[in-house]
Amino acid sequence: MSQTAAPTRRVTQRSARPRTPLPGQSRLRYAVAIRWAFLAPAAAYVLFAFAIPIVYNLVLSFEQTSPATISHLTAPFAGLSNYTTTLKDPVADSAIIRTFSFTVLSLLFQFLIGFTLALLFNLRFPLRRFARSLILVPWLLPLLVTGTIFKFLFQLQAGAVNQILLDVHLIHQPIGFELSPGWAYATVLITNIWIGVPFFTVLLYSALQEVPSELIEAARIDGAGPWQRLTHVTLPVIRPVIEVVFVLGFVFTVKVFDVVIGLTNGGPANSTQLIATWAYNLSFQDFDYGAGAALNTVLLLIALVAAPLYIWLNRQSLRGDSL
Amino acid sequence: MTAVARRRLVAAAASIAALIALVVLLFPLYAVIVASFETNSQLFGASRYSFFPSTWTLSNYSVVLSQQGSHLLSSLIIALGTAVLTLAIALPAAHALARYRFRVTALLVGSLLVAQILPSIVIANSLFLVYHRLHLLNSYPGLIIADASYAVPFCILVLRAFMLGLPRDVIAAARVDGASEWRAFTRVVLPMSRSAIITVVLFAFLQGWGDFIFALTLLNGNTFEPVTLSIYTYVGEFSQNWGEAMALAVFAVLPAAMLLIAAQRYIAAGLTVGSVKG
Repeated sequence: MSQTAAPTRRVTQRSARPRTPLPGQSRLRYAVAIRWAFLAPAAAYVLFAFAIPIVYNLVLSFEQTSPATISHLTAPFAGLSNYTTTLKDPVADSAIIRTFSFTVLSLLFQFLIGFTLALLFNLRFPLRRFARSLILVPWLLPLLVTGTIFKFLFQLQAGAVNQILLDVHLIHQPIGFELSPGWAYATVLITNIWIGVPFFTVLLYSALQEVPSELIEAARIDGAGPWQRLTHVTLPVIRPVIEVVFVLGFVFTVKVFDVVIGLTNGGPANSTQLIATWAYNLSFQDFDYGAGAALNTVLLLIALVAAPLYIWLNRQSLRGDSL
Repeated sequence: MTAVARRRLVAAAASIAALIALVVLLFPLYAVIVASFETNSQLFGASRYSFFPSTWTLSNYSVVLSQQGSHLLSSLIIALGTAVLTLAIALPAAHALARYRFRVTALLVGSLLVAQILPSIVIANSLFLVYHRLHLLNSYPGLIIADASYAVPFCILVLRAFMLGLPRDVIAAARVDGASEWRAFTRVVLPMSRSAIITVVLFAFLQGWGDFIFALTLLNGNTFEPVTLSIYTYVGEFSQNWGEAMALAVFAVLPAAMLLIAAQRYIAAGLTVGSVKG
């Protein structure tokens, strides 16, 4: 809006002249209006689909909601009771802790596997382009479909994973992956790692491609071994991209929902509930929208931890200049 | 060892390692395709999993085609709607943010970055109650508006990053020649941005096609449902209909696979630009 202030200021400076707007000024005002018109749909959309829901979620979290209050936009004020009851609930507490451990373990393994594959694809071998494009497939599948596929693979009877483990004699009895809390958590974690590896691989691979080969060659001539070249040359050079993949990976992982619902539905006995899935349960299974909103606020705060970092990593794009 | 022999050895070892990685990463997809040709008794409660079944059947596909046609159509409508709405919002906004300097440009771009971070379940919880009042539950427009939230911020940022790289002189020349801002946008900027537009259309389409959270929360299943919701009900708590679920999963996976083959270079390039510079 501050752009529109410029022409009016010019009018006051020329106070000796007639007050009627000059054709040039109206054209300028028109041009400014056009600029904002280009932005209007996006502004309206961001307001409707992001700003209002976030603010409304905050309002809801302080209200005493019930199925009866759905038909009104507001419900009686409840103070902090949604927060205190939700956060005292052991299921919510363990869902919050689990979301942390799940995020840390996911990112760790996604990075280790993704970086190893990126290094692999950085070598010269036949069909590497073909292999690199195939590797993207897991990342493009609908997440619920992936969850369902892995539910099938991890079945107790006639499950592919159990069959492989039995065939190589690692186990003698099939494992009830869906029945034990520990195994259920592991299956969700493995599935999520499988989903994220292509993303890490592709981004880290394109970063490796940008590392100047003269730099590696110079280190080799100076007597650096492969490990030293990796830790002292390659990793420092691609550090900005590593930061980006970790921040984006964090953002993807804290809000994981579809995979859990498709794979375990939060079970057995709520042992694989994450913040997002438990908030869904509170709102859409128990119809306690206020309690769900309170837990959503917790999720929102955790996700927004990444915001300053994410904006800082994109600081170049905040300026209007060409990248 | 000579340098050539050494290089051959590395290439051979790398090929084998890449092959193993691909087998592990793509086995789940192989398993889905195979399972879609098996009967439910082969898939659920059988004594062992067969990596290559001895009997094959097309019955899952005939059931899916006769019962799930409308759900596949719903998914297609939702995905196309999401792509169209996203483009309609993102293209002009990206153009404005790339071409004009607003004093609030940093603020606008910053809020788009934050919007990308917001968890969909938070939005779904609020939208359910808002939609209830606006009578947008169980409607295509309501679901498409919600699904576009996956794509709009990302697509604006990717398109803007691309448009910032377009030569300014060409747009300026069009304006000098008497083209209006709108004409310069539609006749000059859009044709030059073709590859970026393809990337974001694919992205938005796949987001609409794959959405589950908003379908689960904003639809009750009585009017229409996308395939993600159908797959969920096939193998939910009360049924274990694996054969049909897997045949439907093959359909659900098809667009991603086809788009990947058709537009592979656009996807790879677009994702890299969007994620690192977006």
